[in-house]
Amino acid sequence: MTSLAAIPVRAAAPASRSGAWRSALARHRGALIALAVFAILLTTVVLISGFNYFQFSFISSGGAALALASVGQTVVVLTGGFDLSAGAVVSLVNVVLGTGMGPGLGSQVLFGLAALGIGAVVGAFNGVFVAYVRMQPIVVTLSTMFIVQGVTLLISDKPGGSIAPEFVSAFTGDAIPGILPAPVLVVAAAAALWLLVKATRFGIGLYAVGSDEGAAFASGLDTRFVTFRAYVLAGLFYGAAGAFVSAQTGSADPLVGNAMLLQIFTAVALGGTLLGGGRGGAIGSIIGAYTLMIAVNILLALDVPAFYASVAEGTLLILAVVGGSFGRHAPLANALRLGLLTVKARRDGTLASSRRPHRPALVLPPVAGRSHPPAASGWLVRHREALKYTLPAYAGLVLVLGATQALNGNAMTNPGFFNALVVLSSFLAILALGQGTAILTGGLDLSLPWMISLVGIVVAGLVSGSDQAALWAVPLGLCLGAALGAVNGIGIVLFGLPPIVMTLAMNGILQGAALVYSGGTPSGFASPGMRWVMTGQLLGATPVVWGVAAFALAATLLLGRTVFGRRVYAVGNSPLAARFSGVGVGGTLIGVYALSGFCAALVGVLLASFSGQASLGMGDEYLLPSIAAVVVGGSLITGGRGRYPGMLGGVLLLTALSTLLAGTMLPHAVRDIIFGLVVLGAVLALRD
Amino acid sequence: MVRTLLAAGAAAFCLAGGPVQTAQAQEKAQDKAKVFLSMSFIGNDWQAEAANMIKAMAASPAVASRIDLQVQVAGPSAQKQIQQINAMVQAGAKAILVFPISPTALNQVVKNACSKGVMVIAYDGQITEPCAYNVHIDQGEAGRVTAEWLAGKLGGKGTIVAITGVPGTSVDSGRTEAAKAVFAKHPGLKIVAEAPGMWSQAVARTELSKILATQGWDKIDGLWMQVGCFTANQMQLEAGIPADKLKPCAGEGSNGGRIQMLPKGTAVEGANGAYAPMGAPRISYASPPYSGAYALKLVLAKLDGKEVQRETILPLPVVTNETVKLCRTGTWQEMSEGCNAFQPAAVPNPGWFASIFSAQTPEVGLKAALNAEPEPAR
Repeated sequence: MTSLAAIPVRAAAPASRSGAWRSALARHRGALIALAVFAILLTTVVLISGFNYFQFSFISSGGAALALASVGQTVVVLTGGFDLSAGAVVSLVNVVLGTGMGPGLGSQVLFGLAALGIGAVVGAFNGVFVAYVRMQPIVVTLSTMFIVQGVTLLISDKPGGSIAPEFVSAFTGDAIPGILPAPVLVVAAAAALWLLVKATRFGIGLYAVGSDEGAAFASGLDTRFVTFRAYVLAGLFYGAAGAFVSAQTGSADPLVGNAMLLQIFTAVALGGTLLGGGRGGAIGSIIGAYTLMIAVNILLALDVPAFYASVAEGTLLILAVVGGSFGRHAPLANALRLGLLTVKARRDGTLASSRRPHRPALVLPPVAGRSHPPAASGWLVRHREALKYTLPAYAGLVLVLGATQALNGNAMTNPGFFNALVVLSSFLAILALGQGTAILTGGLDLSLPWMISLVGIVVAGLVSGSDQAALWAVPLGLCLGAALGAVNGIGIVLFGLPPIVMTLAMNGILQGAALVYSGGTPSGFASPGMRWVMTGQLLGATPVVWGVAAFALAATLLLGRTVFGRRVYAVGNSPLAARFSGVGVGGTLIGVYALSGFCAALVGVLLASFSGQASLGMGDEYLLPSIAAVVVGGSLITGGRGRYPGMLGGVLLLTALSTLLAGTMLPHAVRDIIFGLVVLGAVLALRD
Repeated sequence: MVRTLLAAGAAAFCLAGGPVQTAQAQEKAQDKAKVFLSMSFIGNDWQAEAANMIKAMAASPAVASRIDLQVQVAGPSAQKQIQQINAMVQAGAKAILVFPISPTALNQVVKNACSKGVMVIAYDGQITEPCAYNVHIDQGEAGRVTAEWLAGKLGGKGTIVAITGVPGTSVDSGRTEAAKAVFAKHPGLKIVAEAPGMWSQAVARTELSKILATQGWDKIDGLWMQVGCFTANQMQLEAGIPADKLKPCAGEGSNGGRIQMLPKGTAVEGANGAYAPMGAPRISYASPPYSGAYALKLVLAKLDGKEVQRETILPLPVVTNETVKLCRTGTWQEMSEGCNAFQPAAVPNPGWFASIFSAQTPEVGLKAALNAEPEPAR
């Protein structure tokens, strides 16, 4: 993931005698900052609530599972990958151990090894598709996530089971009673294993692949094997995390790992590992994991009111990263320096843009008559590349529609079916533009869920059923979304925050805002006009169907035909090259996140119109699908590639698929597995 | 690097500004028992309402003089709630109220808390660790009673659409399995589609729309939903089905649903669109949001040395068209006389859960659920 933080404004100072340790310091900067932040938080907790062995023991065990999983994720992220299956693997391991483990010592050892084995097998599955079939990591691991979740629910559809007490105390008890808790040993072992791996040829290969896979391949590295092994190693760590969770809880719960996924990514980002690969390390992630967990103690110690908990946590997250980024080369300092330079240049009259009127006109030599006509280049030839990434989603859509027809017999010939399909797709179709544009610049917008809920609640509250009020409240809500989105962009650009951290923190802050604004009870409802848009009739279809068509056209033009669109692709391909070509990278990024906020706000309004009222948490279901639709539609998660028609195809495919599955009587677990397999199959053709 | 540390230190110092005040507050509260509320998550309507009722109970004179309640939200992962409960034990809790994220994941930490003499009491959800106290409804009974009503209403034959809860939770599987067991006894009844509704009106609408894309209302005779009957009725009205032809729906106790159950023409304040009386054929049950407030009362009883049962099964609040009755003001007194639906003008959110009455909790009424204010002392 690229951000302005990665771009030095000027070259580093020439190497001096102290250069060696300075560069070592710079290399470990992320981890060191994370350590400093963690130390401060821990000191705060200790000052307020005292310190004893019990405290030490529970803090060490509380963060261990997250730390183990984060180490695994770090390995994948270093290669430039992305592993969404991490949380699902933790759940699967937990359920297998909880239902299968016997009381005997042999059984406990066997299942301990099985935990690692399950992780490795899932990792190998990911690794084969990513490294050898050359598919996008996020699509592969998203599919794996669904498949693994389905398998987990098949094994156990509700919490239960038990873990042998010896297994529990081996992981969470005392290594040396009263002095050293066992979790400290577990995490230390993971850290040692990582340092060992890092020192090997494979470890160096991880960084090489993440920095520049082509260059690594050219210098004789078997990049595919390195990538494959990275996923297997990551799986091993998730398996270990699953085993630890089993010991920590003493039982099994099929949902236990799912909520860990976002935390894992946050821990990795907090620990200074660059999403996009090549920089960082697992030690930072371990510290990041413990920092996230100790936030719970901070909230308790400071008695933060419940409605403000997520706000405090989000603020803490931002402070932890921003606090570490002050300094001469900090993004904020860079932005200030650039700003000052611009002011100075304007005063001196040397600003390039102010000299434009004097620029001589570019005179091209007259075009010589061609000796032969240009090769016939039809539309198909010119757009071959784009079609290659766009078509699979539509091909998948046709297959799913065919299956729906075969099962229900009334899909293809039923205009009502297509109408319902587009109405249901409308939310994701809009989110895909915002999320897709953020992804095109190499970022992600995780603030969608509560942006949707907050704007929906605010607008429904202001409208309260009056069409007249809707006339000003809806635009106001959209502006609110765009403005809050722009704040995301400003945080990313000015403070150099990783997009994941900034938008995740924003999500928490918006959740608090929605709770405080509504007092926990959202009031107000959509006006008749708003409801008509989602449920009425216009020219033989629901009005929003025509709206989606217009939106799709506008979105395609925005990304494909405007200056803004070109800049988005330029930033996504290389922020540095974009800057040297005169693209205002910062302004573009702020615009991108404002657009994403606008789209989320629009969905908030539409959801409120669809349901008639807004409710807390109504946006929660849309985060992962918004990312999935974008990548299924052929966009590259690391930025620079993707078109809106492809994303729209992804949206329609996913919606048609879930509509098909909702009409069947298959168990939920089986639906998850089918969903994962179809997504995997649909994008098999997308490989690079 | 030094600069970095200083900056980070400054940032943390601002955060740490609280200890002085906290210390003062602790001094004042010394004669009161320290009780914590550990919520896994607060970002949905039910959670926020339940939290309001607990806060109102804590503010009622009898409880406020004895208990110092501190409400904390851990976030939606089991790890965080484990860490939070441990921290609460460490902070000297006498009792911990828990909305458990999982019935099993907290067992170890709860066992540890019990061994330190802390009373752990779970509301709505359940903690299977034997030393924990639990306050909840019988989920199996909820599934059975609602399914029996629907089977009776359909005369034992017809097609049913089922919208379930969150897959993988014991509440969902408890209700769904019990309901399916009832339907299985009637060979004429057939579930034609089933989808997870995540206990949210918004999700119920999306899932039902997906089902309707291929099925159509004319092929559905009845609905069994954990949450979503209000929305289902709204969708039928939008599809042009007249109010007297609405399909019978067994589902949750949202106020919107209760208002729809009132006979057509009943005068209510603030009716709007589908949020209006229409005589919809319904059975309305609920996991009542007062359970947390009641659990806090049990904590007080335990502190007073009274015997408290480990397992408190709350009576299942069931309302049918025969028993639905509109409240004028929503005081506890009025509810104790049998009213169970609230004016839309007072409760603007139809998804709001209306089962807030318990004979055991005269401290909390409508104002408690809406604004965390206890009933005035009588």
